[in-house]
Amino acid sequence: MKIELTVNGVARTLELPPLLRLLDVLRGPLGLTGTKEGCGEGECGTCAVLLDGEPVNACLVPIGQCDGRAVVTVEGLAVDGAPGALGRAMAEHGGAQCGICTPGMMISAEALLVARPAPSAGEVRHALGGTLCRCTGYERIVDSVLRAAAERRGAGEVGP
Amino acid sequence: MSSSEVRREHVGRSVGRVDGAAKVTGRALYVDDLPARPGELHGAAVRSPVARGLLRSIELDPAFDWSDVTVVRAEDVPDNVVALLVDDQPVLARTRVNHAYEPVVLLACADRGKLERAVAAVRLELEPEPAVLELEAALAAETVISGPDNVQSRYLITKGAADVEAEDRVAASRAAIERALAGCEVVVSGRYSCHHQEHLYLEPNGMVAWWDADGLHATGSIQCPYYVQKGLCRGLRLPAERVHVTQAVTGGGFGGKEEYPTMLALHAALLAQKSGRPVRMVYGRREDIEATTKRHPAVCEVTTGCDRDGTLRVLSLRALYDAGAYVTLTPVVLSRGVLHAGGVYAWRDARIEGLSLATNTPPSGAFRGFGAPQTLWAIERHVDRVARELGRDPAELKRQNLLRVGDSTPTGQVLRGSVGLAECVTAALEASGYRDKRAAPPRVVGRKARGIGCSVVLHGAGFTGSGERRLQGKVAVDLRPGGRLCIRTASTDIGQGTETVFAQIVADAAGVGLADVDFATPCTTHVPDSGPTVASRTVMVVGSIVERAAQKVAARVRAEQAAAGGSFAAAGDRLLAREGAVSALEQYEPPGWVAWDDARYKGDAYPAFAFACDVAEVEVDLDTFEVRVVGFWCAADVGRAVNPVMCKGQLEGGALQAIGWALTEEVVWRDGRILNPRLTNYIVPTALDAPPFETFLVEAPFEHGPGGGAKGIGELPMDGGAPAVAAAIEHATGLVLDGLPLTPERLLAASLARGEVKP
Amino acid sequence: MSVADLARYELAVPRALPEACQLLAARVASGEPTLLCAGGTDLLVELGMAPPLGAGARPPLCVDLSRLPELGGVERVDRDGPRIRIGAGVSYLALGRHALVEGALPLLARMSHDIGGPTIQARGTLGGNLATGSPAADGVAALAAHDATVVLTSVRGERRVPFAGFQTGYKRSVRQADEIITAFELEPLAPGSPWCWRKVGARQAQAISKVAFAAVAELEGGRARRFGAAMASMAPVTATLPATRALVLGTPLAGLDGEALDRAVAADTSPIDDIRSTRAYRAHAARALARGFLRELGAAV
Ligand SMILES: Cc1cc2nc3c(=O)[nH]c(=O)nc-3n(C[C@H](O)[C@H](O)[C@H](O)COP(=O)(O)OP(=O)(O)OC[C@H]3O[C@@H](n4cnc5c(N)ncnc54)[C@H](O)[C@@H]3O)c2cc1C
Ligand code: FES
Ligand code: FES
Repeated sequence: MKIELTVNGVARTLELPPLLRLLDVLRGPLGLTGTKEGCGEGECGTCAVLLDGEPVNACLVPIGQCDGRAVVTVEGLAVDGAPGALGRAMAEHGGAQCGICTPGMMISAEALLVARPAPSAGEVRHALGGTLCRCTGYERIVDSVLRAAAERRGAGEVGP
Repeated sequence: MSSSEVRREHVGRSVGRVDGAAKVTGRALYVDDLPARPGELHGAAVRSPVARGLLRSIELDPAFDWSDVTVVRAEDVPDNVVALLVDDQPVLARTRVNHAYEPVVLLACADRGKLERAVAAVRLELEPEPAVLELEAALAAETVISGPDNVQSRYLITKGAADVEAEDRVAASRAAIERALAGCEVVVSGRYSCHHQEHLYLEPNGMVAWWDADGLHATGSIQCPYYVQKGLCRGLRLPAERVHVTQAVTGGGFGGKEEYPTMLALHAALLAQKSGRPVRMVYGRREDIEATTKRHPAVCEVTTGCDRDGTLRVLSLRALYDAGAYVTLTPVVLSRGVLHAGGVYAWRDARIEGLSLATNTPPSGAFRGFGAPQTLWAIERHVDRVARELGRDPAELKRQNLLRVGDSTPTGQVLRGSVGLAECVTAALEASGYRDKRAAPPRVVGRKARGIGCSVVLHGAGFTGSGERRLQGKVAVDLRPGGRLCIRTASTDIGQGTETVFAQIVADAAGVGLADVDFATPCTTHVPDSGPTVASRTVMVVGSIVERAAQKVAARVRAEQAAAGGSFAAAGDRLLAREGAVSALEQYEPPGWVAWDDARYKGDAYPAFAFACDVAEVEVDLDTFEVRVVGFWCAADVGRAVNPVMCKGQLEGGALQAIGWALTEEVVWRDGRILNPRLTNYIVPTALDAPPFETFLVEAPFEHGPGGGAKGIGELPMDGGAPAVAAAIEHATGLVLDGLPLTPERLLAASLARGEVKP
Repeated sequence: MSVADLARYELAVPRALPEACQLLAARVASGEPTLLCAGGTDLLVELGMAPPLGAGARPPLCVDLSRLPELGGVERVDRDGPRIRIGAGVSYLALGRHALVEGALPLLARMSHDIGGPTIQARGTLGGNLATGSPAADGVAALAAHDATVVLTSVRGERRVPFAGFQTGYKRSVRQADEIITAFELEPLAPGSPWCWRKVGARQAQAISKVAFAAVAELEGGRARRFGAAMASMAPVTATLPATRALVLGTPLAGLDGEALDRAVAADTSPIDDIRSTRAYRAHAARALARGFLRELGAAV
């Protein structure tokens, strides 16, 4: 099936079996291995990407449903390859340890921050509720997201 | 130059992760992100469906096209042993299987779909035999699967009155401790149990193996590259110089990537050898949960004697650990269990006995805490029980009996210093408002009751006893062009921050900037064997030699600078031009006073202990018995926090694993098989379940620790969470639970047993 | 696990409901196996767990429902009184945010926030929840408490099935193979009326209900003039609690007896032991949740 979509702002045309998981298409033909697979069942959230701005589990999205739509992955949250405010906060304030959940955490956080630039800690926890982390205890992820939100408000930075 | 003279610009500061940018931009390459090598195949294992049985035959469906499938069986393995402590575990089962999911046949194929069908086309003819599936059954020994009585390893620690010389020390010390107990004013007994725990690192185990002119290469998600190398050398009968093991960026380990990757590397290497192609094996979540190790279930029987005023005197404790089907690392785990069984208390007389028993379950293995959480769960719950009997507040009773400098542990180790225990207790109790919350009756609002509880724990840093001396961990620091320093160590960063913390230590020791320090990819061909990344030893033990090596290299450069001027970089480049290579290789030597008697289990078990006091506050729904941890306070004596934010992150992450173990994580078994090998039903906490953490760092420096006194803290936070939560539930509801996990279903059952439930 | 097999499936992407119905009718008539995919949150998990397809086997055709405008939208309609029509393809995320739902069907909005986590909410749909037919389905319990009408469409036209007549057994229903669930019609709850959504799972997010309790009530003169309730994970199908409803509707609230309520709940449910919980726990929690809501309504139970 022919699928036209944009990935991190770049228009792509793909000819692929339509039930392939978006996750496998990103990690395989598109070479975007920042999106991870922790379970393949929608439970861990390490595969989260933005699909038309909403965070979804790329392991549960058939690529055929992505035709005409826009996908943003963790790579797409970087600014010229360098971390943005959210990435910097995660790296500097303990939000990332082993880092395997970090792409999913950042995608879920990004969706939140676009919708609510000044979230409460409770709102951050709700937004991250679908992404598991086994390393941090979440405290410093929440802290990192709140710091990034503050910095983005200050700098007027907006997400991609 | 002694460490106290070092100027500290980086140590003690919460610098960002040096590997942070790669991780937050998606650039970091974990094993499954590595590009496929030309001709690469996928590998899979065919596993036993039964817990115990004789393997009669292996039949490959003749109707299936096997032409492009590589098949490896036991007879293809040059030396069919997974090299660990004892040679009992085969790489592939040959004549019998001893646990469900035991690997029997390996397959590789380029087409993943075909590989799955091939797995289904292998028929194992197995004749099931009676299996031993639980500790109780192993102890009863009606079915014997190991030795004469299923007992696989045994330890005995005796102190004071129990420390008797006799032919039969086991019996004589038992009689002696019973006499000591009989002489006590208050004697209390209890039995405490705990269950399997799955590591659930979010990146499953994975490995890629290939062969070339240099020999065998294996790259994967691993904690201990040299363990993997040792296993590959043995299983494939190769010399070490032909085996090159490299760590890929690793998505969490917690002990689950300590011994298991050796097995996985052997599987991938065997398939690669037979097929002549690179082979990738990355487990899906289900296989990872089913086939890999878990925390040892344990039962501890405890009897203590104390004075009426609460002074703890006598401890008798027997710990039974479920080893699973093979020895793997169990004796070492059990050792750490018994060495921590006395908890943070100064016992006059102690007898601690530990037994590990074989069962037909997948081998239990290394898991953060390494045996200590089980006995600390028991002793902390038990001291809570003593407090109840005495009508005392448990935290006060604990405080009254804390180990102090000069006191000795059950092995007779006299604590020489770096004991910030009392400070931890004070800090955690005060920050949590423990006393006020405890003084009033539990707060009940509507159908929700709140309660608060505390635990106090310790954790020995480094290998036990003579372990570090035997291990002789090494690191190197090299001078590189431009005045850069490169750390070469086999201590891996699996998320806990080794690369960053080591860079901080080196930057200070050498007086250079953080950006001038590199961390070499851990590969057995290029880095020295620093010993495994386990046992809370990375910062304290390995970090101390990293510090020394950096000092030595920097001293050479500074001398050159003093002699001929120029910047550090210019002087370094001159040295390099002159000598070709400038490097310092350092080997760890424990402090001279560390003395350990392995035969009698006496002496200095660990050069230093880290300590912590955990306070948990819970809210229990009195209708549904759902438990939410609404606050968690931890004060930990870490010696010296090299990176406070990362240190707190370790403590909080460990505490949440402990909370998960306490409340929701449960491996459910039937006939030796796991009924819930999925994330939907093996329940780890989400961001909404995690309490807000307040974490306090107490610094009672350890004189031999790097950075001015750091101690190992990787495992400490796993120790105290469960007993603190159980104590809080008890405070909220009056329900006393001595077995983990504390699920709503069990709370309801306990409440029904007390005849008090009404909706 | 057969994620690898996904490469062998075809996807049909109808752009309008009639086209989808025709395609489905043709497939059913020729006996060819067909799958439907809305948000994919049940379907892809199921396909991933399915045993590998045989080498020569032809996988079923998958029909994408996500592009059918007829399955979208939340609006007021009139069917013998005011109703709110919710498209079967509306995601939980959209549902939870929708002003009309928040105002007139607050239980549904609240339930939507309790599904999985945000990433599941962004994709999962009520249509998929009902079609999968799991007794643990939260959305279905919420629909059942409102006595929703299920709207089914096929080449034969549209038909309306009251919820009580929809499920016929474990994962079985009156839906014909060629029918698409297009919408649900729910009676709005009178403003300010009491309602209850209580999900008991093993954790606060990403949890499948051990028990969930959904209930709405409209009160008048010390009695319930409307009382709808349902439970998830308490029976082979979503439990619609007929005895409990009859008891509550037939008794002045002040006179309601706790023991009688317990008996009604017990008669309405048949919980089991499974991997997520125990029969005893479920029975206890169900009684407690029912009593809790009735206490809110003013009953002394
Ligand atoms: C991690 C995770 C967490 C979850 N948490 C919850 C939870 O908390 N509560 C809960 O109830 N469920 C939960 N689920 C299950 C699932 O998300 C829901 O059942 C969801 O509503 C399914 O909707 P969908 O659109 O994704 O269905 P799909 O997967 O697209 O479809 C499921 C089935 O329904 C059929 N179908 C779909 N739409 C229609 C239609 N309009 N007409 C006819 N047939 C149709 C399909 O043929 C398919 O067989 C969870 C799932 C996951 C993976
Ligand atoms: S891999 Fe998609 S949610 Fe776990
Ligand atoms: S940082 Fe390791 S799982 Fe989150």
